[in-house]
Amino acid sequence: MTESLRWNVGDLVEMAVTGQVSQPTMRPNGYLHWPDGRAAILPGMSGITYTARVGDRAFGWAGDHVEPGVSIAHTDEKSDFALHYLTCIGNEAVVTSGLARGAKGIVTGEHARLLVDFAPEVLEDMTIGDTVQIRARGRGIGLVDFPELEFKKTSPDLARAYNLRLENGQVICPVAMELPARIMGSGGELNSEYVDQDLMSGDRALMADLGIDQMRLGDLIAIRDVDHRFGRSYRAGWVAICLCIHGDSIMTGHGPGILTLITGPADKLGFAVEPGANIAQTLNIRSAS
Amino acid sequence: MTSPLSTNAADLVAVSVAGNIVHPGFPGLPAEPYRLASDGTAFLLPTYGGIVYNVSVGDRAFGWAADCIHPGISIRQAEDTRNRGLNVYACVGNRAKVMTGAAAGTVGVVTGKSGRFSEQVIVHFPKESRGRMAVGDQIVIRSEGVGLALPDHPAVMLKSIGPNLLEALPRRAQDGRIDFGVVATVPAHLVGAGLGLGSEGGSLHLQSTDRAELARHGLDAVRLGDIVALADTDSRFNHGYLRGARAIGVVCATDGPRAGFGPGIAILMTAPAGELGSFDAPGTNIADLLALEA
Repeated sequence: MTESLRWNVGDLVEMAVTGQVSQPTMRPNGYLHWPDGRAAILPGMSGITYTARVGDRAFGWAGDHVEPGVSIAHTDEKSDFALHYLTCIGNEAVVTSGLARGAKGIVTGEHARLLVDFAPEVLEDMTIGDTVQIRARGRGIGLVDFPELEFKKTSPDLARAYNLRLENGQVICPVAMELPARIMGSGGELNSEYVDQDLMSGDRALMADLGIDQMRLGDLIAIRDVDHRFGRSYRAGWVAICLCIHGDSIMTGHGPGILTLITGPADKLGFAVEPGANIAQTLNIRSAS
Repeated sequence: MTSPLSTNAADLVAVSVAGNIVHPGFPGLPAEPYRLASDGTAFLLPTYGGIVYNVSVGDRAFGWAADCIHPGISIRQAEDTRNRGLNVYACVGNRAKVMTGAAAGTVGVVTGKSGRFSEQVIVHFPKESRGRMAVGDQIVIRSEGVGLALPDHPAVMLKSIGPNLLEALPRRAQDGRIDFGVVATVPAHLVGAGLGLGSEGGSLHLQSTDRAELARHGLDAVRLGDIVALADTDSRFNHGYLRGARAIGVVCATDGPRAGFGPGIAILMTAPAGELGSFDAPGTNIADLLALEA
């Protein structure tokens, strides 16, 4: 954490929230559709994902909306919303039931379920229904001298991992890539405290032209001319810094999930495309592998 | 301006779908009644549902003290699968008829649909008749249009459009492409809520947070009922971004203060790769095209 940037970390309240490992679900007619209408049945959401982990590619899986790691939810709706609204990226999680009891993990995303990374050997001991408890801390976090910047889902650990720096009065965040506002899609109907907004990957040639198809799960992402404070919409002169939380989708209007982390006016918030701006690395989630 | 159009309208099956006039709703305590504007301020304004006495198709879409109001009458089915049937089958231009209550027998026209979180069908009835209607009255629609196609333009997919409205739209066909007259064109970066959601029912919203950007594209003066185009928008299966694709729809709900929720648009047609175009046709509005009775 840059010394010249002062955080209010000492004021944050830390609380426990829990969820259970979810079972994948499918509708009676399980088909998804490619943009031309061709049908497919693909895995991706919920459950324990053994083969896709934060740090891995976001594109190219034989899956749809692939959620890396373990997806947890609470069966009681109000408790589930607390799990959603209080949990921050980078918070520590611990398994509190079952064979993997005591194993520790890290929150890496929020989709319709919370996404928690555990080491591969821990996954072998986990089952559907196991309880995972999170020490939720970060809601309300901010930079004391930059009230114009809004931080969401930012744990103190993630705040440190951003590697923010100050340049000419502007806070600069390293990111892996920039996305154009015009391809931000599904999720525009939701408030920006809740889950993500998919980038629209249906224009496959554009994905390749802009290198978006090189995105990895856990990448920091910048978008210009969007205001993500209270919903997500186009506003010239604003910036959002986001996180890639889930994999690509075949469905029109969908694609990798982009979760809002920081938003503010462009004169106060900037970004620089730099290699290594991925939380698998910056939160030391996969430093051992 | 309007060229002859070959369709399969003679093959369409007309089926009844019905709904009841919806009561406006708010979340229960302890939730606040407020919604959030895009600047974070709380607001409390009338929103979708119910009998709207003083806003009609043909009126302005902006400037009302309201959040995505539906002009005229909003109907739905209480049970989800039936409501889905109503929302998908009803097509803009279809005839509606009040079947119960003091306004029984009054005839109206379907003018739009709304999407996720409301999922209602919007029906125009003459203002005078709205005073005799009651929440809960049943309205039946002679639904006709699902399956409608243009044999000479197979890449153009038609959605939620009755054959009568299709016939009335200003158009030009040339070089294998078909163009329709529109009031304005929404650039891709101003397409908002509804992206990624289904395109057979529901609506796709214009974004209205950045007023200067709206004005720059001539979108700040659109009226309810205006026909508009959406650039680089593929609405064949869900709504999403694709260069060269185009969607055309009708403005069916007013603007609102929430991020992503400017005026609602019911999508009427789409094509993925330049097969569908549009041309400037100021004033193209379904209030005139369908001769809606004030």
